[in-house]
Amino acid sequence: MSDYRETQNLIHPDKTNILMATIVVILIVIVTLQLWIMYGALNSSEDSNQVFVWAAFGASLLLFIAGLWLLKYLPDTKAKEVKDPDNPYV
Amino acid sequence: MSQDNNNKTPVWKSDFPIKQDESTLISRRKFTKLLCLLSGGLALGTGAIAIKSVACPRARIGGEYFVCEASELPVGGMKSSIIINDKTETPYILIHLAEDKWRCFAQKCTHLSCSVLYRPDMKKIMCPCHEGAFDPETGEVLQGPPPRPLPQISVIVREGKVYLTDKA
Repeated sequence: MSDYRETQNLIHPDKTNILMATIVVILIVIVTLQLWIMYGALNSSEDSNQVFVWAAFGASLLLFIAGLWLLKYLPDTKAKEVKDPDNPYV
Repeated sequence: MSQDNNNKTPVWKSDFPIKQDESTLISRRKFTKLLCLLSGGLALGTGAIAIKSVACPRARIGGEYFVCEASELPVGGMKSSIIINDKTETPYILIHLAEDKWRCFAQKCTHLSCSVLYRPDMKKIMCPCHEGAFDPETGEVLQGPPPRPLPQISVIVREGKVYLTDKA
């Protein structure tokens, strides 16, 4: 059996942290871009520029799908320790 | 199996924890999901804007709308009024820029819908709210926060009478 994963975890103990922070930053960038696109769409709809408005909707939807896809790479949570296994309310 | 269930924190407890530090803690996983939810909301909002722009296009005057006699408005003068249509009311300003040169624009500033006014001394259409300025010839933005030009309305002068109509 390969011990690649164990060795990698030993070398990079903060791997999960970096992965999580990267996903959060990318999602913040996505939301910022979507806000900018929405502002442009509002202005263009007032200007009766239909082509831009629909293109903006497509772009916003694509960004949302990209964000959803990113959730796939969210690291799993660690199992919580239960102090008293006989009493779940502790 | 029952042992596994006993080890799990009940759902009600994770949603409404007793300890204060647990209730105020928002994990990065939760924050990420919240960002994704916000992203979906923004995509839906942009879609709603697109649908609204198709379903409710800008109101049109429809035909010619009589305003006043051409002699009533001297050169450099401005007249503001409202075009009352079946569905909408459109406030506008009619400007007599020069002899045989008339311009008409919607009176709502494209920034926050304040009423704009023509200033003949500055040769600009000014918005008093945030000092936005528009070109009286074309309606283009000259200064300030307005994001787009003033919508223009066509002016027809026939037999000494001024009419307004939709811009082609």
